[in-house]
Amino acid sequence: MKQFRRLTYPYIIWISAMIVIPMLLIVLYAFTKQGNDVATLQFTFDNFTKFFTDPDFLKILFLSLRIALITTILCVLIGYPVAYAIAQASPARQNFYILLITLPMWINMLVRTYAWIGILADNGVINNILQFFGMSPTKLLYTDFAVTLGMVYNFVPFMILQIHSSLTKMDRSLLDAANDLGANKVQAFRRVTFPLSLPGVISGITLVFLPAVSSFVIPKLLGGAGKPLIGNIIETQFITVGEWNFGSAISMIMAVIIMASMYVTRKLDKDNDEEKGKRGRAL
Amino acid sequence: MKKFHVSRKLIIGGILLFFYLPILYLVIFSFNDSRSLTNFQGFSLHWYEQMFSDQNMLEAIYYTLVIAVIATIVSTIVGTITAIGLSKSRRIVREVVTQINDLPIMNPEIVTAIGFMLFYVSLHIEKGFATLLLSHIAFCIPYVILSVMPKLRSLDPNIAEAAMDLGATPFQSLRKVIVPQIMPGIISGALIAFTMSFDDFIISYFVTGNGVKNISTLVWTMSKRINPSINALSTIIVVIITIALILVNILPIIKSNVEKKNPAMGRRVIALIMVPIIAAAGFGLFWLKGSSGNASASAAIQKYGSDVLKVYNWGEYIDPSVNKAFEKKFGVKVIYDTFDSNELMYTKLQGGEAFDVLVPSDYMIERLLNENLLQPLDKKMIPNLDQIYEGVRKLPYDPTNKYSVPYFWGTVGIVYNKKNVSKADLDKEGFNILLDQNYKGKLYIYDSERDSFMMALKALGYSMNTTDPKELKAAYDWLVKLKTTMDPEIVTDEVIDAMVNGNKDMAVVYSGDAAYILSQNPDMDYYMPAEGTNFWSDAMVIPKNAPNPKLANEYINFISDYEQSYKNSIFVGYASSNADVLHDLSSEGGEFAGNHAYKPRIHYKNDEVFQYNDKTKKIMSDYWTKVRIAK
Repeated sequence: MKQFRRLTYPYIIWISAMIVIPMLLIVLYAFTKQGNDVATLQFTFDNFTKFFTDPDFLKILFLSLRIALITTILCVLIGYPVAYAIAQASPARQNFYILLITLPMWINMLVRTYAWIGILADNGVINNILQFFGMSPTKLLYTDFAVTLGMVYNFVPFMILQIHSSLTKMDRSLLDAANDLGANKVQAFRRVTFPLSLPGVISGITLVFLPAVSSFVIPKLLGGAGKPLIGNIIETQFITVGEWNFGSAISMIMAVIIMASMYVTRKLDKDNDEEKGKRGRAL
Repeated sequence: MKKFHVSRKLIIGGILLFFYLPILYLVIFSFNDSRSLTNFQGFSLHWYEQMFSDQNMLEAIYYTLVIAVIATIVSTIVGTITAIGLSKSRRIVREVVTQINDLPIMNPEIVTAIGFMLFYVSLHIEKGFATLLLSHIAFCIPYVILSVMPKLRSLDPNIAEAAMDLGATPFQSLRKVIVPQIMPGIISGALIAFTMSFDDFIISYFVTGNGVKNISTLVWTMSKRINPSINALSTIIVVIITIALILVNILPIIKSNVEKKNPAMGRRVIALIMVPIIAAAGFGLFWLKGSSGNASASAAIQKYGSDVLKVYNWGEYIDPSVNKAFEKKFGVKVIYDTFDSNELMYTKLQGGEAFDVLVPSDYMIERLLNENLLQPLDKKMIPNLDQIYEGVRKLPYDPTNKYSVPYFWGTVGIVYNKKNVSKADLDKEGFNILLDQNYKGKLYIYDSERDSFMMALKALGYSMNTTDPKELKAAYDWLVKLKTTMDPEIVTDEVIDAMVNGNKDMAVVYSGDAAYILSQNPDMDYYMPAEGTNFWSDAMVIPKNAPNPKLANEYINFISDYEQSYKNSIFVGYASSNADVLHDLSSEGGEFAGNHAYKPRIHYKNDEVFQYNDKTKKIMSDYWTKVRIAK
């Protein structure tokens, strides 16, 4: 079987060029000064100092993490009951529901987010309905609410699919056993179903939190210019301001934070599993 | 049990409603007669017409599909082969490769995108189709590997060994034994790859260039300005995807039904259904490519050295028929790309992209000249220079028009609702009306550091080109006061639609956008403060590294003539630089007769043109970030 090993070589070369070098370039840019070429590299920590000494940047970072966290929690709270309800249906129905849930994901994310602008705008669909019923219009667009809504809308399908798949993989006879041993429905859910679905929840959390922290499209379209998140700051550094070194530094900071939180989440999951003597994988 | 059933249906129904209402909204508004995204004013197929006549959109669909198909095929093959290789590799190799492979999945997409961008820039690879395709392949492969690996893990290694013991070559055992068993993993990997590529925005946004756009990046540029053809495009995508998914799910059922009756017929029925669909899809692609125009005229090559002209202009700043007319007349192809800020344009130039014609604003032209990046015009080729309006000739950034020909021009001013804002207040307070508590919560501020600092400095009685740190700090304080006490909404081009709808009473906008607002909503008027404002001009220039300067001169001349300027000014609503067009459109019987914003004042003593200053730009940019989040 060793002859198959050679099959990996082309890809090893490929990832060195297309994954490793680009990552190293970000690190290189983050630690160097602007405007110098490879021949005259000047190392510096300025980019990091600039970020960590400015309360405004820290505030934006904090806001981004907070909104991502709220989004993730909402996705679990919404996604779990949906996934659970779907998992109760007959297999044919389940496939149909899953199809209905994945279908919108095929439509361009930008387009779907764009649609919310017209719905949430000051004279948009929702406010028109409110006014029709004699209620006063409220400001919905360009608020934290709009950004969170847009994120939940875009990311909750990931959560549903992950939890659903872990629920369907579950061994049904365990529930029967719990039933035979005298557990009622609530107990069976709490002691059997829920713990067994946790790996799905955890991988759902990673799938939601990651894009939620770094998104710059949703905050820009639904949060407006007054609510930049960390992704927007990175985008402006690269696209409009042209300070690639500072932009690289912020990207690095964000990537490190995300990877660390992922690591902790997975670790928690593993410890949890080991306690129960079960083998589990998050992704 | 019954009760449980109902709540289950409620939950699923609720989430589906949540998912599908916005999509339904898109579909409905794609048939809207007006430009508005919030007011349905009657049924029309207008936006579909516009979409199908828009070359950019057809090209974007074409590129999206071609890239998605190629990226899926390549990444599925490479991913599968690698996964098989990895499953037989030593543990250490496997661990390291999977860890690195996980990076693009575990990393925020924007970080991966930036990595690619820096990679291409440092290798001096010009951004375009090749970089887009390479990046898509690169981020698709990890997903294929990830979905094939588990299938390989659960595969019994002895079967492949057995096949080889029975005389199969390694390749045969791969093809006949391993691949069929991991097929479900390969298919789901391919599907993920296709979706990822088809839908991708972030990575494409950072790595594409040279006019190559996919649907996402096009929608992004378009979303800066209200453009309901996005809705039309989305509706078509929704329809196609629904049909495709229904087919994918129904075909196996049909097949099994037919096979029950007649086992031999199954495949044939599938073929009968699939062949016309694939043929139609192939034909569609061919048609898209065909309509994206490929006029290769040897005459043009002989005369200009090349039959391709690369233009980089503001988004929504041209009547689409203008480029078509140019292509037809000269037998050339125009690669037309757009930007939404001068800084974006500049960054793109820094990234190494070369264009023939740029349309930057005054201060950016000054910067490009300072950095010696422009070449003089060939005035013999531009006789239409004579037709340029005298108000925009000889502006300070290019006093002899050696390098630039004005395109559109205007001022920055306040659009206000005549019913709710008193003209007396405006006359008395000028830009300081933006701090007047009577109008709290009723204003829009444009998200531009330059324009915001301009109004703050003018309100304080300073020059908008000041370099004095004290004056800049005072302007910053003025803006913070505005942000924290007046509850303004900071917006970009959505302000146009919002003011047409009369959402708020005042907005600081460009005169050209104001002209459109005034033409749509008679309650609105345009005001330029007596303390002065910004007088600006966007002008056509030719970069030093233009691949085809001769054709560029020809293009600039063509754009400046009466007919094209007329079409452009009507379409965009900005003040024309062609003197006759400006006169005809603004005087009795013209499209913009009586519109106070179309033709703003010229030569007013307090109005200024922006000057470029690297230092103040940085200060303003840092200040502006703080103003935006001030509470």
